[in-house]
Amino acid sequence: MSNLLEIHDLRARTLGGRDILKGINLTIAPGEVHAIMGPNGAGKSTLSSVLAGKPGYEVTGGSVLYQGRDLLALPADARAREGIFLAFQYPVEIPGVNNTYFLRAALNAGRRHRGEPELDAAQFLKAVKEKLKLLDISSDLLQRPVNVGFSGGEKKRNEIFQMAMLEPRLAVLDETDSGLDIDALRVVSNGVNRLRDPQRAIVMITHYQRLLDYIVPDHVHVLSDGRIVASGDKTLAATLEQTGYAHLDSAAA
Amino acid sequence: MTISEQVAPFVRAFRTAPGISDEPEWLCAHRDASIRHFAATGFPTRSAESWRFTDLRPLTASPILPAPDAVPNASERALADPPPSDPPPSELSVPTHRIILVNGRFIPRLSRIGALPPGVWLGSTADTVKARPGLIAAAFDASEIVGSQPFAALNAAFFADGFVLALEPGAVLETPIEVIHLGRTDTPVAFHLRNAIIAGSGSRATVIESTEGSGPGWTNAVTAITVDADASLRHIRIQNDGSEAIHTALTRATLARGARYENFALTLGARLSRQDIQVALSGEGASVALNGAYLLRGEQEATFAPHVDHQAPGCRTDEVLKGVMQDHAHGVFLGTIAVRPGADQTDARQLNRNLLLSPWAHVDTKPELEILADDVKCSHGATVGSLDEAALFYLQARGLDETTARHMLIEAFAADVIDTAALGDILSAPLRRHLRDWLGQVGGAA
Ligand SMILES: Nc1ncnc2c1ncn2[C@@H]1O[C@H](COP(=O)(O)OP(=O)(O)OP(=O)(O)O)[C@@H](O)[C@H]1O
Ligand SMILES: [Mg+2]
Repeated sequence: MSNLLEIHDLRARTLGGRDILKGINLTIAPGEVHAIMGPNGAGKSTLSSVLAGKPGYEVTGGSVLYQGRDLLALPADARAREGIFLAFQYPVEIPGVNNTYFLRAALNAGRRHRGEPELDAAQFLKAVKEKLKLLDISSDLLQRPVNVGFSGGEKKRNEIFQMAMLEPRLAVLDETDSGLDIDALRVVSNGVNRLRDPQRAIVMITHYQRLLDYIVPDHVHVLSDGRIVASGDKTLAATLEQTGYAHLDSAAA
Repeated sequence: MTISEQVAPFVRAFRTAPGISDEPEWLCAHRDASIRHFAATGFPTRSAESWRFTDLRPLTASPILPAPDAVPNASERALADPPPSDPPPSELSVPTHRIILVNGRFIPRLSRIGALPPGVWLGSTADTVKARPGLIAAAFDASEIVGSQPFAALNAAFFADGFVLALEPGAVLETPIEVIHLGRTDTPVAFHLRNAIIAGSGSRATVIESTEGSGPGWTNAVTAITVDADASLRHIRIQNDGSEAIHTALTRATLARGARYENFALTLGARLSRQDIQVALSGEGASVALNGAYLLRGEQEATFAPHVDHQAPGCRTDEVLKGVMQDHAHGVFLGTIAVRPGADQTDARQLNRNLLLSPWAHVDTKPELEILADDVKCSHGATVGSLDEAALFYLQARGLDETTARHMLIEAFAADVIDTAALGDILSAPLRRHLRDWLGQVGGAA
């Protein structure tokens, strides 16, 4: 089967700043779940930002193929409509923009792009109800402005709820587990597991082994100082829990 | 240009205007005093603090005299530019009592005042002068000439028409009053509109005014409002003049004990505009809500200058003005809340927030409090910012194209003040519609 995402020697820096990604190689096939771990400041969020097309970063080398096409040539909104979804580490509060209104506009933008008919308010509401159950989200969050006044955990749930609604091909979850209580972690993990699909790949950035007990990855990578310095199966995460990252850094150096 | 050179054409136009034969003597005297007042002051200059930010040159470079069909007693003369044969569309989705003015004159054929409940007078100013001169007299304050704004003085000298709404005590008008002014001219002429709203104690009414049109006309409106004890007045003003137009408007409201006045001002049109709103809270427990937005583009310049005078205890002011400026547009906010000695338990807040959509757009904002009483709760603030890039990216990362994402954020910024005003669905609808229409003409990228 052909790969969903192929990252070759990807190098990137902040605009006019220092190098952060120093040659990332990563290949992801449809249906796979990958976990990326690594120390603070290693470049994990930067990788997800570069994949999502966030302004402020400059790719200085390498390539990213998504479904065989040059991902980096597309603007952020086109990437999203093509099925890339980033669950933000720090979801942004947007005063005045109603959560439901925004999500329906986003969903219909994707549907238009795929040549599917737009959902009217009633159809959309029906879809919302189904997904809400999946994630145990209170419907009053949907009547509020996007993320405004949401608790940390509510923001993370709202990200996964959006993912469930938008049904991406490639979802990058940046520390979605941080800030979730134990029950919420279970609910969100169940939700993500239900979204596992032979057509869909998921990349989870996390610091904690516990998430990987709930959502069992096919591959685990360690990103350190802008490079992937180790890859393995789910047992790598357990090993790291014992040893930490320090020995990997020296191995890579 | 000296003041006398500047004012001479206006004085001459006043002296040679057709005889004001059937106007009450006091009104003739008032007009005469007003033109003399203007002759002494001329137009405001930028050396005056409250005019410092406003470039009046488009107005003062050459004299803009009253339209020939919009001087007192011109009603018998044929209109130079015949008004449209069909009435303009209504702003509201419900029936209204309508007054249509074209180039400063009431056009009965296009208007539909309809049946009014007992105790309510609604008519053109010219008709009211003839039929109910007492109402007009009540709406003129002799002290107005002294220290009055030059524009108000010019208006007093030259006004020909406008609308007058008077409610007797206890009269309740459920159907909104709609006043539309169409300015249609190929040459720079002035339309001096004089309006009055007199709300007797315990009365209630809603007035929605809009101005639109084409050409380089100058609309100069003065609206005198009195809201008596426990009366309540909602007043929406949508300034949607053409892109060459000039618009100056002075609204002066006096509120008695327990009275409520809600004003919403939406500024969209005119190359140069200024809106002065002066509210005197003269009776205990009166309250005023001043909300609005100015949405500017191109080379537009708009000044919004609300002044609220807390003269009595226990009064309340809620004021939120939002500005969105793109291209080279320039917005000015000059807001003052004054609290007189003895006006204790005043509760007043004033907020001006601005969104700049281009590096060339700019805004001058001066929210001020002058507090001379103890035991008051007052706050004021101003912000100037640009679109939140993180929010913009968040929306795009969910698949919304840049233009849609920008519009969503701009609309959210501006619509917030419509929500704040809480005018109800029927009155909010035209405000939202104008906002959307405006956004439809805003480009995606900065
Ligand atoms: N826009 C930016 N401007 C300046 N520095 C940046 C920017 N984005 C990232 N960096 C820097 O790049 C490095 C990598 O940051 P990144 O957020 O990718 O780390 P991370 O691996 O996600 O860390 P954490 O586990 O703490 O979330 C950090 O040193 C960070 O300060
Ligand atoms: Mg991070």
